[in-house]
Amino acid sequence: MKSPLNATRRDSTGHRASAVALCLVLLCPTVGAQVTAVSERDYLADMPVVLSVSRLPQRLDETPGAMTIIDREFIRQSGARDVVDVLRLVPGFQTSTSFESDAPQANYHGSFSVYSARIQVLIDGRSVYSTYLFGSVAPGLMSVTLDDIERIEVFRGSNSAVYGARAMLGVVNIVTRSAADSLGIRAGVNHGENGIQDAQLSLGWQVMGSPMRLSVDQRGDDGLTGSNGHNRVQRANFRAELAVAADAQLEVRAGWLGIDAGRGFATNANAPLRDTVYGSSFVQFDWKKSVGSSHDYAVGFAHMQESFVDVAPYALAPVALDYSGVASNDSLKFESVHRLDSDLRYVWGAEWRRESVTSQPLYNTGSAIVTDFTRLFTNVEWRLAKDVLLNAGGMAERSSASGSTFAPRMMLNWQATAGHTLRAGVAKAFRPPSVFEKQGDIRYSVANQLLLVTTLARGRVEPESVLTRELGYLAEVGLFNSRLDVRVFDEAIGGFIQSQKYALPAGTSLYPSEPRDYINGESLSIRGLEAQWQSRPWLGSRLALNLERSQMVLTAPGLDLDLLSAVPRTAYTVSLRQQLPAGWEFAVNHRYLDSVTLPSTSSYRGSLSRTDWRVAKTLRWGQYRGEIALTVQNAGGDLLDYGTDFSFPRQAFVTLRLQD
Amino acid sequence: MRRLLRHLILCCLLGMALAASAQPLSAQVVLVSSESAPAYAETTRSLLDALQRSGLSAGAVDVLSPDELTRRADAGRLGPARIFVGLGVRATQSLLAVDVNAPVLSTLIPRRSFEQLLRASGRKASDQLSAIYLDQSLRRQIALVRLALPQAQQIGVLLGPDSVAKLPELRTQAQGAALLVRPAEVVSDQALFPALREVLDGSDVFLALADPVVFNSTSIQNILLSSFRARVPMMAFSTAYVRAGASLALYSSPTQVGKQAGLVVMAALRSGHLPEQPIEPDDFLVDVNPNVTRALGLTLDGVELRQALRRLERLP
Repeated sequence: MKSPLNATRRDSTGHRASAVALCLVLLCPTVGAQVTAVSERDYLADMPVVLSVSRLPQRLDETPGAMTIIDREFIRQSGARDVVDVLRLVPGFQTSTSFESDAPQANYHGSFSVYSARIQVLIDGRSVYSTYLFGSVAPGLMSVTLDDIERIEVFRGSNSAVYGARAMLGVVNIVTRSAADSLGIRAGVNHGENGIQDAQLSLGWQVMGSPMRLSVDQRGDDGLTGSNGHNRVQRANFRAELAVAADAQLEVRAGWLGIDAGRGFATNANAPLRDTVYGSSFVQFDWKKSVGSSHDYAVGFAHMQESFVDVAPYALAPVALDYSGVASNDSLKFESVHRLDSDLRYVWGAEWRRESVTSQPLYNTGSAIVTDFTRLFTNVEWRLAKDVLLNAGGMAERSSASGSTFAPRMMLNWQATAGHTLRAGVAKAFRPPSVFEKQGDIRYSVANQLLLVTTLARGRVEPESVLTRELGYLAEVGLFNSRLDVRVFDEAIGGFIQSQKYALPAGTSLYPSEPRDYINGESLSIRGLEAQWQSRPWLGSRLALNLERSQMVLTAPGLDLDLLSAVPRTAYTVSLRQQLPAGWEFAVNHRYLDSVTLPSTSSYRGSLSRTDWRVAKTLRWGQYRGEIALTVQNAGGDLLDYGTDFSFPRQAFVTLRLQD
Repeated sequence: MRRLLRHLILCCLLGMALAASAQPLSAQVVLVSSESAPAYAETTRSLLDALQRSGLSAGAVDVLSPDELTRRADAGRLGPARIFVGLGVRATQSLLAVDVNAPVLSTLIPRRSFEQLLRASGRKASDQLSAIYLDQSLRRQIALVRLALPQAQQIGVLLGPDSVAKLPELRTQAQGAALLVRPAEVVSDQALFPALREVLDGSDVFLALADPVVFNSTSIQNILLSSFRARVPMMAFSTAYVRAGASLALYSSPTQVGKQAGLVVMAALRSGHLPEQPIEPDDFLVDVNPNVTRALGLTLDGVELRQALRRLERLP
């Protein structure tokens, strides 16, 4: 019988990737549907609960804090080539494109060092915190290609009550696209100035009704002007969603990341020209089960392995400047979500996490340094009245290296009138010192003669803390299809972890040593206001404006006045996208920060301004859809980045994307 | 507790039927139920209530299983029943297979199933063989879409071998309500995701039409998750789908089906014939999943929607 349907049918792409899928077939016990003719059973049969309590996200007017949500459309129009470049446009963020430390950095409320250690980054619920050196989320931010991302949820403010220590100032929650939404082939290339050569290929297929995706990509360029550039990032990520039962799903993810970066200077003996290699790989299993529409739970396990090679000869002595090491972490967590009634829902859970790092040059031991974390957390969402919602919870965390902490949070959301919500809340959060801050021990020897000690942590440093008090206002109004979010905050940081030099007794080393130690130093407060306005004022448009005012205040007599400029007093972002006839589109993004320091040159004060624009046209060739675009980044010319020795050049590149 | 009571009542009814099985039937109404599951028991109870309220004594009704009916027919012990009522496909099939010599009313049956049974048996609907459909008319479903989602412009549908025949009428009904249909056909498990992508991309509402190739307990997880990710509310055809995560559903409950069947049976006992053409369910419910609709930014009230739909159809 001829179908009356005119819709185009698509063939499965299973044959294209069958070899990759072979090993997963055995993992996929999905039973195909029993095919019969329609009967009353189709109308009367029971169905497993799918959209259970934990699958339903909170609405923006119910979230316990300020949230910036970045969708695929915004990512595409931004012209960004990696996640950090997108975060640049989020209120309160300061970013770098430099590979001089480990990878491009993203910080919320302060570039305090060359490492991003005070925000948490999760990719599909997995913490990508890198244990290596000071602890950093930067390599993790590079571990996912933009095309695989469904959305990025940036929670601006402390969120340790839910995500544990390290979610001290904020959380970047990256949600990748479901494999079910990305079947078929997708490919893209960027080619342009400054050696930009990016390529990406993604394959999505099904095995016995379970969708899977494999994406591989490379991002390459010559880096910042003044750097020993030639940076290359290579990634492979796999995701499978196995419907193991009608009411349960097993998600399997695995990935690999390699970063080859050139660093150093021809004229600096302490930082000579060299090539560095960072590698990481992970595997992640998440099992989710619905007990009913009001109760479900999830069990997750993730393992991550890292290696870092950064070694160069020292020109002035027969020693090596070596920062190499290996690290790993394992996480096992359980989470149970309940809805008691329409006004009360709560979540509780536990996590065990083990982090291990081994580096002879950084810790003066060949043994692994292992830190265990155990966490217990709960959060209650209680509608006290029709218009009043209370979010209250906390996380108790025990670190084998730093002891126990408890991070509570309470936030009250009051919907004053339809579309207008006021928030008020308080949260306490902690960040335990990294292994390096606790046990760093860098020393140089020749023939059993100790020459110099540059770092010798005495292990006295305790977790630093932040007490966040904030007021918020969210308006979702019909005028220009607008959403306005305002956050007024006071983040009082206590026991801020800083480095401090001290002298070793004379004779300890051949040369007098003044190694770095890490201490709980300043008490400071970051205060300010962030306003974010997003709208679609006319047909085909999308306009976003951010305005930020912030101030760093030392609340106790301090030593380091450079900290005062770690956040800009004023910053703003303007983003405009306009669709034009015949598939054309134009977008411009401008970001300005007034006087701030640079991560590696804290004594610098200066404003930073960058404008990117992009022109794109959609393409259609038979069954293939795509886009060709021209992007110009930093149209205004050289922009200092990371330090005064480096600048981000004006660079243009062409993008071609195709998908079936 | 209510469910337990229903089970008890059905067991009693089936027990009585079993006890009477040795004797020729003397009941005026013979009810054949495809299964003893709660939905069938609820329909049976509701039908018996309606008959009793109309003055028919409980002893005038016999409840049989399809196998029981066949055995009695083979033994020539069907007796002088004045009307036979089949609940579901299997019961209707067994009634069509025996010469019952009395009007046959099929209920708790989808339109498509009834039509297939007629074709297979070479019979036609008449005042001696009629049905009350379980599924809602497309006109009613489209009307509900308009009421619940007045801004909707495009309506996505996934069609299988059974439901694909509804597409022409769906297009006609949708056009009348200024809605554009975005259809895609699912011919196998492998085709589900590409079809979903095609349907959900640009649709404002996703209308589920019963077809076991498309909608089953295996596929429902992927369908609901995909439609939720795409932020397209799903309108389904049973309350079970609303529990599972559909935004809303339009359906007739077993109680409503049984009540309507009772009234049709009493009319047939009085007049000696059934409605010549099968009839649509005259009552229905609209269920809403408040958590899902809230997450999608919708404010829907099932009771209000049902009342508005009834007003629109000028139903009391």
